[in-house]
Amino acid sequence: MSVLTRPVERAAAPAPPAPSKRRKRNRGYGFVIGALAPALVLHVIFVVSPYAQAFYLSLTDWNGVAGKANFVGFDNFERLAGDSLFLDAIKNNLLLLLLMPAATIAIGLFLATMIQRGGSDGRSGVRGARFYEIVFFFPQLLSVAIVAVLWGFAYNPNNGLINGVLRAIGLDGLARSWLAEPSLALFAVMAVMVWSGVGFYMVLFSAAIDGIPREIYEAALIDGASGWTTFWRITLPLLRDNVQVAFVYLGMVALDAFALVQIMTVGPGGPDGATEVMGLSLYRTAFEYGKFGYASAMGVALFFGTLVFALVALRGNKNRTELA
Amino acid sequence: MTSHDISRRSVLRAAAVLGLAAPGLAACVTAGNNGGQSSSSGDKSATNPFGVKADAPLEVVVFKGAYGDDYVIAAEGVYKKQFGGAVIDHKGIQKVGDTLRPRFVAGSPPDVVNNTGAGRLDIAALNQSQQLENLDELLDAPSWDDPDVKLRDTLLPGVVEDGTYDGSFVRFNYAYTAWGLWYSKPLFEKNGWMWPQTWQEMLELCEDIKKTGIAPWTYQGKFPEYMTDPLLVMAVRGGGMDLLKSIDNLQPNAWRHESVKAAAEAIAELSGKGYLMQGSEALSHTEAQAAWCQGKAAIIPSGSWLEAEQKSVTPAGFDMVMGAVPSLGGSRLKNNAIHAASSEAYLVPSQGKNVQGGLEFLRMLFSRNAMKDFAKSVGTLPSVKGATDGITMSPALSSVSEAVRKAGDDTINYRHRIWYPTLTKAVDDSVAELVTRRITPAEWVDRVQKAADDLAKDTSIKKYERK
Amino acid sequence: MKRFPLHLALGFWAMVTAFPLLWAVTSSFKSDTEILTSPWTVPEKPRWDNFGRAWNEASIGQYFLNSVIVVGGALFLTMLVGGIAAYTLARYRFPGNRFIYYLFVTSQFFPTFLALVPLFFTVEQMGLLGTKLGLILVYATFATPFTIFFLHAFFRTLPSAIAEAAFIDGCTHWGVFFRVMLPMARPGLVSVAIFNFLGLWNQYLLPLVLNPDPENYVLAQGLAALSTSQGYQSDWSGLFAGLTIAMLPVLLAYVCFQRYIQAGATAGAVK
Repeated sequence: MSVLTRPVERAAAPAPPAPSKRRKRNRGYGFVIGALAPALVLHVIFVVSPYAQAFYLSLTDWNGVAGKANFVGFDNFERLAGDSLFLDAIKNNLLLLLLMPAATIAIGLFLATMIQRGGSDGRSGVRGARFYEIVFFFPQLLSVAIVAVLWGFAYNPNNGLINGVLRAIGLDGLARSWLAEPSLALFAVMAVMVWSGVGFYMVLFSAAIDGIPREIYEAALIDGASGWTTFWRITLPLLRDNVQVAFVYLGMVALDAFALVQIMTVGPGGPDGATEVMGLSLYRTAFEYGKFGYASAMGVALFFGTLVFALVALRGNKNRTELA
Repeated sequence: MTSHDISRRSVLRAAAVLGLAAPGLAACVTAGNNGGQSSSSGDKSATNPFGVKADAPLEVVVFKGAYGDDYVIAAEGVYKKQFGGAVIDHKGIQKVGDTLRPRFVAGSPPDVVNNTGAGRLDIAALNQSQQLENLDELLDAPSWDDPDVKLRDTLLPGVVEDGTYDGSFVRFNYAYTAWGLWYSKPLFEKNGWMWPQTWQEMLELCEDIKKTGIAPWTYQGKFPEYMTDPLLVMAVRGGGMDLLKSIDNLQPNAWRHESVKAAAEAIAELSGKGYLMQGSEALSHTEAQAAWCQGKAAIIPSGSWLEAEQKSVTPAGFDMVMGAVPSLGGSRLKNNAIHAASSEAYLVPSQGKNVQGGLEFLRMLFSRNAMKDFAKSVGTLPSVKGATDGITMSPALSSVSEAVRKAGDDTINYRHRIWYPTLTKAVDDSVAELVTRRITPAEWVDRVQKAADDLAKDTSIKKYERK
Repeated sequence: MKRFPLHLALGFWAMVTAFPLLWAVTSSFKSDTEILTSPWTVPEKPRWDNFGRAWNEASIGQYFLNSVIVVGGALFLTMLVGGIAAYTLARYRFPGNRFIYYLFVTSQFFPTFLALVPLFFTVEQMGLLGTKLGLILVYATFATPFTIFFLHAFFRTLPSAIAEAAFIDGCTHWGVFFRVMLPMARPGLVSVAIFNFLGLWNQYLLPLVLNPDPENYVLAQGLAALSTSQGYQSDWSGLFAGLTIAMLPVLLAYVCFQRYIQAGATAGAVK
């Protein structure tokens, strides 16, 4: 935990002296229990218990409408290992995880730097910075479902926005069936994720850069450092924490991607599994095929994937974030 | 594989092992209520063959899609007239499965369910879990119009077979759907194009159409199953009902039959020769069909619901009609054989509060008057004989009706698509690849055969047999 | 002119961001035929009836109201329940404090998909499936870990002196929380409320699974359903009008209160 001295109220068990018997009977405990109970009860019913039950269901063949389920051991997991569609889903989620956060962070950092340090003196913000920030942030305010409906139309090969723009500027040769070509479809989905994520991280990075003392940049400029050098030597190292947090959040988005794929893509999940993601496999298996046991096994697989990712991403950052 | 009930205790134990046991865990999800019949009944009589209690409320849940739910509301009027005290709770909804699945688990389903549309319930799973009422009693009851004729004898062929799961008739289909290739009659007449009987003629026709600047074909690329249909029809015409059976029964090498490959080659040829509208592979059904209605493409595969679906965007004088899929050489069925099946499933849940009322309501819904209303208002063939007699039909409906008549007993209906959703998805996914020529017909056959073999080996999936 | 490439880059991204939104708004004033045949032109004449149709026939009005009720209820609940839990965990020492804190905050990193199937049946068994109350409870519960995570840190930075004084004056624990600490925590509460509002307003997966009754659809869910059911109705202009109705109020509120909203939305990552 942090080095900050922990302020403690005059209550149940004030630190540092060990709690006395008398204090324990003090009504502070009543308050603690009363204050925590509502949140805890809800949390246990709707979060802890479903998560725990998922592990059990993953070992059954429950079909969702029967009153009983058969215990099948690890059969579901063995089937998962041979389920080519689910393996495609894992592959696609990993590809998203590899590229999407990096692209979003790169563009976000670039834009934030431009806005904060792009002024004519290399120190202050560019003119119109506020306007750009406002516009860039728009997609963050939209539901992912709305973003998906919108981009589904935009990708229409014949009267959609993308091909329309390409044709209007004479690049007819680049017009494609974006969501129907296996080599493009996942990138088309990824582009929407980047589109909707950049603004948020731009604002985040922008605020962080704003917090860097101006004198540091001034000193660097007097030493003759270029904009590029100040970015690498000053901005990026000082934003390390922010970038890492961004990576964790974006990584979790990349491991999900359900709504976009479900609403937007061919099939959905296609063509030929090219945009299948684990969440979609799970949703289809549970709510279309009624194989709730098998679907739960997919959930467990997804859980361990997320866990491994989070551990790797947060490694070495133990002292910086509250959570690690 | 050991089998035992999940009890509250066993879930709690599992949770405790995970170190997460807590009071709220008692809300175990699988402890469904499989309690017995709670249905209340009244006295049976000739006019009330199931003994409906007149004042028992009735809950009807209907998929409100292309067919709307007006015809159901009309039948509810008849029910209310018959049973003065009955209150009917009518719900017209879109995602039937999402709405009703929990109610089935909880043991409090509605009394009548129209189970269709995207996200419908899995009827086989419901039946396996004894959630559905066997409707034999209804089939053998007198029809609403004529007490001397059993309801069973008023139906079109295939309706009882389509609704039978594991030997019990649980699914009563209201509509009769035929599949084929659709075109605008005036457009063809204007250009002097004739509907082709053979695939060779189809290719020649496509060449002619292409010259006019119209794309010969389009298809609903986002949902490739639309293209699977003409492929399978051509395959089964060549291989006959034996091929259909061997495919449905997942027999080894069923898909390697030469007529399957020939059909795949024919479909691949369409894009090979540039007869498909550009971009079709990425269009949703709505988008492709709209493009077709605007005259950007001449031919589109679809089923007999198409006219209703396109109602609001079809230009006046478009007069869509359905033609049968042309034949490759060496057909073992009539050249007019088409894919046809009953659809629009009606179910009576066995745990409903008013099962008798549900049966009686279906007896009214399957009356000739109700069927005629349905045919007139939605332009679709109902599943009873002669329902379209004496009514004025749109060109679309009469072309469908004519196609069904010409096909006679040679109607093709594949069961594997209903039984095995994972095989269906594998077939459709690879059809998309075939149509876009990313795989060859030979590769397509390999892929589909492999999917069928994998399914046959998978012991966790229940297998059915077509006799 | 030296700054020109810079503005080109920024302007390019501004256009990439805004153009699809403008396109949707423009399309919402067109007829179906215009949308299909001339996606590029300005509407011949604005078709306000698209909005009427979306609002009434496509039930966007109902969905909007549902969203307001559900998100409003959940927001109030999570702020109250999460706020007081965060305060207690931050400023009281008692056995199990850390365990409870971690029990809450780690769940943020669990994929919702894992809980999806049992959650669906849990809500169903409580008779809350497809009800606004059920959605409010689940929304609030899913928002509470972050609320606690954020406010926990916030409460710990607040000075103790005033609280101490209040205790000496004979204030109860509840009194100190509601009369002293809560007002002091206002900036943090505003940030986390905005963050939660955006997150809940835009939920898709939870209502998709837990809220199957069309009468209770929330806005995002209703729009996605409308884009599916337009398969049966082919009402493009109505769909675009619905999209516009869903987007504009949030965007307008944002333009008016951008500083607060940006601060709130990024609350999770900057603390």
